[in-house]
Amino acid sequence: MERKTHNYTGRLGVLFQTVVQTVVLIGVWWGCERLVQALDLPLPGGVVGMLLLIVLLGLHVLPVRWFARGAGGLLNNMLLFFVPAVMTLRDHPELLGVTGLKLLAVIFMGILSVMAGTALIVELHYRARCHHVR
Amino acid sequence: MSVSHTAAFWLVATLAAYVLSRIANHYVRSWWTSPLLLTCVLCLGMTVVLHTGYREYMRGGQWLLMLLGPATVAFALPIYEQRALLRRHWPPLLVGVLFGCGLALGGSWLLSGLLQLPESMRLSVLPRSFTTPFAMAFAKDVGGAPDLAAVCVIITGVLGASLGGLLLQILPLRSALARGAMLGMGAHAAGVARAREIGDEEGAVAGLVMILAGVTCALIGPAISLIES
Repeated sequence: MERKTHNYTGRLGVLFQTVVQTVVLIGVWWGCERLVQALDLPLPGGVVGMLLLIVLLGLHVLPVRWFARGAGGLLNNMLLFFVPAVMTLRDHPELLGVTGLKLLAVIFMGILSVMAGTALIVELHYRARCHHVR
Repeated sequence: MSVSHTAAFWLVATLAAYVLSRIANHYVRSWWTSPLLLTCVLCLGMTVVLHTGYREYMRGGQWLLMLLGPATVAFALPIYEQRALLRRHWPPLLVGVLFGCGLALGGSWLLSGLLQLPESMRLSVLPRSFTTPFAMAFAKDVGGAPDLAAVCVIITGVLGASLGGLLLQILPLRSALARGAMLGMGAHAAGVARAREIGDEEGAVAGLVMILAGVTCALIGPAISLIES
């Protein structure tokens, strides 16, 4: 019984940590977004924040455990954040006709060529290097 | 004012659709239970039934879309944790990204020309292989429509994550490097999510490739607009 209670508070603690760390990451993003606007940089604020965080983690200024749970939560649920963008389809009824099919065909063929091309060139490069090392 | 017009309604409805889709995907593992696809279909269905436009939906939906920014920041952790892998394998990854970007831009441009898509759509479909914030900025730079670019990006993600699974069975890929690069370059964030399901190494590689491709795209966009002007 006691153990169960302990597990329960443990879970609650994890949830609390995840929420707090997520808020911290939102804060980092917000700050970088303001910075990018102030300096008129051509990069999105999120990317600047990511590069900054990598540098700070690398220099051991900030410990990984301050961000690990929040980052995991955001990354595991990233698909959810794309859903609103798809809703733009409501404003583009023309995409439900022939134009939409053409667009779909372009994207379909494009994906196949990009994926197959990228995978094969990386694989070939990788195998060549493995061979070279041996 | 009915309930379906409030911001909170669509936020909660989207979250509910997402949770349902995750549960469905847990029990039935198939391409059509992909959480992104299923959640989108459910939400689109609801907006059609309740006669809600994009603008009204976005009053609640914008808060979710906004979280893409912090999620980009969160990529710092997997990249930092896989730094040894990246230090060892940066040449094939760089080659993959540059080759992939060339294929993505060139392929989209040629194919959309071949199928005679209208000019604005051709320019908007161009950055479809890059992750949303970069793609929208790119479309603006070259004179396309950012919101249409976002739709192309999403379709690429949904389709790409499924096609990627298929290609993994066909192509003889021995390295986690190639598997990750393929998903990150071909299907950006949706591909990264898929790669994370396959393995930690694949996930980290895919995330890094997606970001490198995005940065490359951020450099090409202003260059093209300079040449055009």
